[in-house]
Amino acid sequence: MAEDTDKPAEFVPGQPDMWAFVLFEGLLFTSYFVVYMFFRTQSPDLYLQSQAQLDLRIGVFNTLVLLMSSWSVARCVQASRDGAFRSALTNAFLTMLFGFVFLVSKVLEWAREMQMGLGFSTNEFFSHYFFLTGIHFLHLLIGFVVLGVIVYQLWSPARRSQELVETGATYWHTVDFLWVIIFSLLYVVR
Amino acid sequence: MSAAATETVTPLEPPSGSLLHRVAWHWRHNPKRELWFAWWSMVVFYQVFGLVFFVLTRTQPPPKPWWEVPRVVQWFNDNHHGLLIGFGIMFLVTGMTAPCNALIAYSMRRMSVSRSFAYSYLLLYSLSAIPGMLLMCIALTVGAMRPDRDPELISWLYDFAFLSFVGTMGVFLIGSLVWMVAILIDKNRVFPKWFAYLNLCNALTEVVVSPAWIFKSGVFAWDGVIAWWINMVVFVVYTGVFIYLLRGMILREDFGSGPLPDLAPNEEPDPSGLARAAQ
Repeated sequence: MAEDTDKPAEFVPGQPDMWAFVLFEGLLFTSYFVVYMFFRTQSPDLYLQSQAQLDLRIGVFNTLVLLMSSWSVARCVQASRDGAFRSALTNAFLTMLFGFVFLVSKVLEWAREMQMGLGFSTNEFFSHYFFLTGIHFLHLLIGFVVLGVIVYQLWSPARRSQELVETGATYWHTVDFLWVIIFSLLYVVR
Repeated sequence: MSAAATETVTPLEPPSGSLLHRVAWHWRHNPKRELWFAWWSMVVFYQVFGLVFFVLTRTQPPPKPWWEVPRVVQWFNDNHHGLLIGFGIMFLVTGMTAPCNALIAYSMRRMSVSRSFAYSYLLLYSLSAIPGMLLMCIALTVGAMRPDRDPELISWLYDFAFLSFVGTMGVFLIGSLVWMVAILIDKNRVFPKWFAYLNLCNALTEVVVSPAWIFKSGVFAWDGVIAWWINMVVFVVYTGVFIYLLRGMILREDFGSGPLPDLAPNEEPDPSGLARAAQ
């Protein structure tokens, strides 16, 4: 084991193909962020006033919940690598729970904003807000399918593909990473 | 077929000579001629598609969704001949989508997955030409052919054409997901897994066009940076990639049912393999 830890990592976790997806999505979301930032510079007052209507506390809560989910999926990968499949499964379910809490919290936040009369076509800021959080929400829903694959792999000794577990975790981390940027841009950056 | 039988097959050597002679030989003897026909149909179709929509009819990049009725009528007048010639060509070549879709369905038949994937894809993409192209071609041709009609009706046709073209991506979305799942669970290595994830990426951008129904201006309108420009870049990359990968699939095709053999860089297909396949 000592020799293993001394060796430099010569691989990426999971399928290298999933890292191509990380690249595709990274480029795509970067283009969305650039568009958002550009239009923000065109009407900074509108964006600042609109941004003030978001509840930063809910944004922080959602971010913490997703970071916790990333932590649990990382623990799932580690446990699976160590052959502790029961612990890996527990962590996979914990990730699902955190993801579900995020989804519920996000839906409640949207409902609250709509009650305040804020919608997709209210103004430019809220168009971007609902678009970015909505497309991220969709990625998270797909993440549940991915977590389902991880659970399916860990469930039976006949399967347990470490590569697939790591591939799924890479997807989940990507979705989490994208949220951190979305949160920063929409809630924090003034 | 026994191993002994395959060994006695005389390799089929493509002749050297004039281009016409070689094409004629492949037409008669190449067992992959239908696949190559479908592939070349795909290449030609997308070239014609680009020429018609971007150059002749000037419908891409799309004109403004917020134009008032007189400006829309003027747009029809300005593009009258381009619309008629361009969409006339499109109506002629629409049939080429059949071999294109068939080739993609074939790729799924070659995988170690249920036939239902190929059938689902074929059904979805047979429908996709309607919202993805034909509704727009028909609506704008009607507008160009009936310039004497009420300008309000002409303006309605304009909205109908562009909203149907840009705003309806459901069939493409599901089609991409079907292809993605087939690639992910395939064991015959027909396509690399990263292409499955590119399918997912393409499918997700199809969702992004839906705000075009709500907005008449801005980044989410049918000519917007997000709803059109970024999506178009993804679509062009996706289309270029799958045309390239389908070519690789045809080169590697051995007409067996197991994993597709690898093709070394710059390697031409083995003529004896062609001969065996032709038996």
